[in-house]
Order: sequence, then C-alpha cells, then structure tokens
Amino acid sequence: MSKNNGLRQGMQIAFRLGTELTVATLIGALLGHGLDRFFGTRPWGLAVGIIVGGAAGCLNVYRAAMLLDMEDDDDNNS
Amino acid sequence: MESPLHHFEVHNIIPIHIGGLDLSINNAVVAMWVGLAIVAGSFMLVVSRGVSPIPGKLQSILEIVLEFIRNLVFEFIGEEEGKKYVPFIATLFLFILACNLIGLVPGSYTITSQVVVTGAFACGIFIMTLVIGFSKHGLGFFCILVPPGVPKIMIPLMVPIEIVSMLARPISLAVRLFANMTAGHTILAVLFGLAMTSPLWVSWMPFGFTIIINGLEIAIAFIQAYIFTTLTCVYIGDVVKLH
Repeated sequence: MSKNNGLRQGMQIAFRLGTELTVATLIGALLGHGLDRFFGTRPWGLAVGIIVGGAAGCLNVYRAAMLLDMEDDDDNNS
Repeated sequence: MESPLHHFEVHNIIPIHIGGLDLSINNAVVAMWVGLAIVAGSFMLVVSRGVSPIPGKLQSILEIVLEFIRNLVFEFIGEEEGKKYVPFIATLFLFILACNLIGLVPGSYTITSQVVVTGAFACGIFIMTLVIGFSKHGLGFFCILVPPGVPKIMIPLMVPIEIVSMLARPISLAVRLFANMTAGHTILAVLFGLAMTSPLWVSWMPFGFTIIINGLEIAIAFIQAYIFTTLTCVYIGDVVKLH
C-alpha cells in the first residue's frame, strides 16, 4: 500500500508541475496573440509571448518544486 | 450504452427565467446546496449542542480539521497576518472537500468537475490577492513583479515573465482541480460501462478496478482540496509578505 501511495503522490506532483508549465505557456501565447491583434505585429508577439510564457512556466514549476521540497523536509523532520 | 460523460450533464430541475437570465435550479446547484448544508450543518450541530471541553466525536473531528487548517495558514501567511484569513481558508477547504466527496456518491453530481465553478473560485481568489496587495502596500505592490536579487539589466525581461506567471496562477489553480475531478470520474464511468456491457466472466475485472479507483478517488478528493487551499495560502502569503 505504501508503494502505491508513493506512486500516487508522484503522479500528483507530476500533474501539478505539468499544469503549471502548460498553463503559463498558453497564457503567454494568448497574451502575445492578443498584442499582435492590437498592434498588428504578427507574428512577433506570438513568438515572444510563447518564449516569455515558457520562461514564466519554468519559474512557476521551480517555485512549486521548492515548495514540495519544503514539505518533504517537514515530513522528514517530524 | 450511456456516454461516459453523461453524468457531467446539467439538467434543469426547476426552470426559472428572469429577463434574459437563466437562473434555473439544476442538479449542479442542488449538489452545491447539499455541500453547503453538510459543512454548515455539521458545525451548527456541534455549536447548538454546546461546545464542551471534552469533545464528542463530531466536535473532535471538526477541531482537528480546523487546527490543521490554522497551522497551514500560519505556516504560509504568518501567525500575525494569518489570523484573519483562517475562516476564509477553512470555508474554502471544507466546501471543496464536501463537493468532491458528494460527487463520489453514485447518482449525484460533482460540482468541482465544472470549470465554471473552479474558475469562479480561482478568479475570486486572484482578485482577492490583488485587493489585499494594493490595500496593504499601495503602489509598492508593483515591486512583486521584480523578484529580489535581480540585476537591473534583467528587469525589462523579468517584468513580463512575472506578469505571465501571476496570470497563470489562477488558471492553473482552476484547471488542476477541474481536470483531476473530471478525469477521475470519466475513468470511473468508462470502467463501470465496461463492467456492465461485458460478459460475466470478464466483467469482474473492470468492476474490481472500479472499486479500487473509487478508493483512489476518495484520496484524490482530499489531496485536491488540500492542494487548492495550500496554493491559496501561498498566493495570499506572497502578496502579504511581498517576497
């Protein structure tokens, strides 16, 4: 059961980090696309937006992972 | 065979149309009311009986839950600041948990599998963090967009990245809860459909899996409610502390 528990937690973490990255990239792309429509600068806004969004996603994943690390330490200490 | 997505459909029970607005009472609304009734009812029951120094069964469960949430809030927001957010976070946790668990009762409706509901929660929390930030720090709140220790030359690059990462937070919060609940319930429905349509000598296998995954779903209901509230605490804490 404990092994199953570990697997489930691993899946949860993977899902959590996965959504962070995907959502941030999508938001960046959408913002870029919106700016393109507004200023008529196709396709540069989209390209820059995806890169910025990907960077933001990596940042979010890094923060979420640091948080997980913190929880892990708490578990080990208690 | 019914579609595995059939149980996500919203049916009107009492149609109410006021002007152009559709305010009908549907099965989703009823499921939400039941969730509210369970959360509020259990607390009212304890309080109306009189809170005793030697807690009964229900009282001790609720005390453990509230203490757990208080510690969570204190850890992420801080003891001084966190006090006023405990009721909100506790309500959020208990309501999401109740809705997730109600969804597991066969024939009921999973309100958290609607992206409208989780999105409304997440947008509310996002707007709340902005209001808290601006009322607490004024225009100094904008320095949340510049992480500490960033060289000056990087600031024009970091500000858009931070804006996107801030905007992504409520959406990932909403999508995570919604996708987990929808995926779990779809799997349950597919497996149960297999169990119902296959001949008896194979149908025990999907049926067994249905039972196992139902157990898993109970755990996921708790984990998702916990993750949602933890992240809410983290976001509020970020805004309160400003790095």
